[in-house]
Amino acid sequence: MPDLHTRRSPDFIIIIVIMMLLTLGVVMVYSASAAYSLHKFGDSFFYAKRQLLFAGVGVFLMFLVSKMDAKLFRLWAKPLLIICFILLVMVLIPGLGILRNGARSWLGIGAFSIQPSEFTKLAVIFFLARYLSRRAGEIQTLRYGMMYPLGIAGSAFALIMMQPDLGTGTVMMGTAIVLIYIAGARMKYLAALMGLGMAGFAGLVLAAPYRIKRITAFLDPWQDPLNAGYQIIQSLFAIGPGGLMGLGLGMSRQKHLYLPEPHTDFIFSILAEELGFIGAGTAIILFAILIWRGIRVAITLPDMFFSLIAAGVTGMIAIQAVINIGVVSGAFPVTGITLPFLSYGGSSLTLTLVAVGILLNLSRYTDG
Amino acid sequence: MRTTNHVVRKRLFIALLLGLLLFGALLARLGYVQLVRGPWLQEKAEELWTRDIPFEGNRGRILDRNGKVMAYNISAPSVLAIPAQIKDPKVTARALAQILLAPEDKIFQLITKRELIVRINPYGRKLSEERAKAVHDLRLPGIAIAEDNKRYYPMGTMAAHILGFAGIDNQGLAGLELVYDKRLQGKRGHVSYSANAKGERLPGSADQYTPPTDGLDLELTLDKSIQAYIEREMDQAMAQYQAENIMVIAMNPKTGEILGMGSRPTFHPSDFRKVDPLIYNRNLPIWRTYEPGSTFKIITLAAALEEKKVNLGSYFYDPGYIKVAGARLRCWKHGGHGSETFLEVVENSCNPGFVTMGQRLGEEKLFSYIRKFGFGEKTGIDLNGEAKGILFTPEQAGPVELATTSFGQGVSVTPIQQVSAVAAAVNGGKLMQPHLEKAWINPDTNKVVEEIRPQLKRRVISESTSEQVRTALESVVARGTGRKAFIDGYRVGGKTGTAQKVGPDGRYMKNNHIVSFIGFAPADDPQLVVYVAVDNPKGVQFGGVVAAPIVKEILGDSLRHLKVPKRKKQISPENSPLEAPIITIPNLVGSDLDELRTSLEDIELQVRGKGNKVISQTPKPGQRVKKGTPIRIYLGDQ
Repeated sequence: MPDLHTRRSPDFIIIIVIMMLLTLGVVMVYSASAAYSLHKFGDSFFYAKRQLLFAGVGVFLMFLVSKMDAKLFRLWAKPLLIICFILLVMVLIPGLGILRNGARSWLGIGAFSIQPSEFTKLAVIFFLARYLSRRAGEIQTLRYGMMYPLGIAGSAFALIMMQPDLGTGTVMMGTAIVLIYIAGARMKYLAALMGLGMAGFAGLVLAAPYRIKRITAFLDPWQDPLNAGYQIIQSLFAIGPGGLMGLGLGMSRQKHLYLPEPHTDFIFSILAEELGFIGAGTAIILFAILIWRGIRVAITLPDMFFSLIAAGVTGMIAIQAVINIGVVSGAFPVTGITLPFLSYGGSSLTLTLVAVGILLNLSRYTDG
Repeated sequence: MRTTNHVVRKRLFIALLLGLLLFGALLARLGYVQLVRGPWLQEKAEELWTRDIPFEGNRGRILDRNGKVMAYNISAPSVLAIPAQIKDPKVTARALAQILLAPEDKIFQLITKRELIVRINPYGRKLSEERAKAVHDLRLPGIAIAEDNKRYYPMGTMAAHILGFAGIDNQGLAGLELVYDKRLQGKRGHVSYSANAKGERLPGSADQYTPPTDGLDLELTLDKSIQAYIEREMDQAMAQYQAENIMVIAMNPKTGEILGMGSRPTFHPSDFRKVDPLIYNRNLPIWRTYEPGSTFKIITLAAALEEKKVNLGSYFYDPGYIKVAGARLRCWKHGGHGSETFLEVVENSCNPGFVTMGQRLGEEKLFSYIRKFGFGEKTGIDLNGEAKGILFTPEQAGPVELATTSFGQGVSVTPIQQVSAVAAAVNGGKLMQPHLEKAWINPDTNKVVEEIRPQLKRRVISESTSEQVRTALESVVARGTGRKAFIDGYRVGGKTGTAQKVGPDGRYMKNNHIVSFIGFAPADDPQLVVYVAVDNPKGVQFGGVVAAPIVKEILGDSLRHLKVPKRKKQISPENSPLEAPIITIPNLVGSDLDELRTSLEDIELQVRGKGNKVISQTPKPGQRVKKGTPIRIYLGDQ
């Protein structure tokens, strides 16, 4: 691959968009968490200071990764996935895995804890990109185009669901399916997969009908305003009154303990409340630009492995953003999932920035 | 490049389009929630963000027709706790418990409730000013003293059933307090502030104060003085006769305004908790139904006169009974009244005479008049718990039913129905709506906001028929069975009644009657109708003996109070009090008690011994004595 030796400068638009999203994120984390962290820690800057630190570390890592030799990615693909599987098993062991909010998702001690499932998202992208590009000739077959790659992703999904962490699992699985699609799997099989997924969902609901209430609560949250519909209603009470211009930075009312942990999953609601349709719409457009630039990188890369990695990273960020914004605006059922770049969270922010670093790295090898 | 790359690029492009489409959809959804649903969500959320501290308005007073206060409020502050603002619940509970003389753990429970505002029930409600000040002086955070009121009924038990009572939260629970609760209550005001999800005030948020609106004052048709006469007479009669119940109604026949109404047993509105709920829930004058007895004959008379089926001057012969469909219905007087005019039929309350009137009217006409006079339906008086009574249905009504209905048996009516029917019979023929609500007054300006006008339900008989009824009934009092209600110069008209009570088994009860009298005055221009019913008076008693004197007292005092001038012309009493007439003592020996009850409406009996039959009497039969001399009878079982 001769082209790989001629490096260009990284995609500048991606860098601008990421910086804008990060800045918005730190500001919003401060605004959203001020009341909550004052209430909880007596320090309204508690979360903001940490988010700023994570963002700094993340950006550093992003540039570091963007300068690495991309050939290393191919070498990492397999061992990375193996390490992640080991970590995913370890995290399930009580005593090793730390239980937070009802899920055993953390490994490590205190501030130095990590979420193996976050890394798994990236590892699965790497592995599938390698696998699918090597099997490009047999991609149309059921076995190599569907069964094997899905088997790998499915095992990781199963391990993640044992924590349980539906949000991360969904994003990981969604990214895997996008990759399989892009790699060129037969549409017939993909359609069958979709049908299978629906049947499985129906089975789950039939097995435990109470689930359907949680799942459909987003359609009419006022049917059960105190339980299933509570978070959606509180989120809508933030977004709706925001209107076109918003209440102004720092003026959110819903952050005053109405929305649970407003600086994580529901940061977008506070953003929409304080900065209005103009502010929240800008964030959506920034994400759309990022997706456009990311896919553009994937399309213009001459190598299928790199192409799939770029597409996977972009798809992962897109899926996560779509689900998060869809959930908080009442378009999807509630799933605990953070908004990339904006939500508070060290592990996920640094990892997402590392992923963007990979994208930036690859953007230097494009021929478009 | 490999061929797959072409597919990969195509699919990447499709994925990009799909992705952008999704983000476009999110943007649309965001716009819908923020720009379209925004105002609605804002409104809903507003309820969540603002917390209200309520302020009660003053409950309207209740006044009699002359402005005398019958129910008002006295200041009685209450303690409010706002749990979110309490810094140290333990210390707060201890301090409050000391002043309120309440158990500390109870207070602690209350003030740590997860509620916005907690009332310290019952210890911290309706406190004295001193105690409230003591709580206030502690200046405990999260503890406030709210202006609160206590309902006060200055007249005690007077008109208790009419006024009813209001509960601790300014809510009407019975009587007029309940019926007119909404208007008496006024509107609650409040202070609103923005709060976080825990109910704590948001820093820098402004309070909004919505002042409460006081309730309107309710002026009643009641006249406190007339009500007082009624209460006095009821107390006396209860002491004298040890009756089960007494029911009294005084009404202005021209307007339907209730001037006084009451019953025994009664209760104190402030102490309603200590009373059997049956006592305050049953407002006897409108709830109790029973056979009216002879007072009902007024309706038969009015109907027969209106239909020109009878001429008061024409003659009738009473052999002591009348045969109806093979059954003998006896007159109350042994041997009958013999030959008499129909006016005397009325004066003597002669049963065969009234049966004849009923028969001349026919079943359809008689019952149509009974219904037109308002029986069988609620009068619609502005109180809860009114009964309808029972009439024979057209299918049930045979000749015997027609006959007994003519003299007041076999129908079941309420006192208020009788009063409004008799009022219609004597007021010129108009059935008026009985009511207690007279006017609503703005407590600040003292201006009348709304005045309730008398309401005509329908015309039942003509003016001239009504005049004949008045004259006939005046004659009953002046010369007939109602003599004990005679007041010189006031032209009292009226009718006695002895009602048989139906027991739980559906049969008439023995030795248990309701004796009653309905009177009105003056007969040329009735100002007042008074009805008195005494349920099961001790001893053998009759309406003419027990109830008529009570009506006389109430009528006399009330007419003087109303400054109704005495009349010069009146039907002269049968005999002047100075020269009491001489009558022959009837033979009562061997009669049974129930027979006596329905036959001697105006002779006073003094009962000795126990039993069902009269075994001896003094004076002896055939002796001639002054009218009004009581007969002593000795009872025994044979």
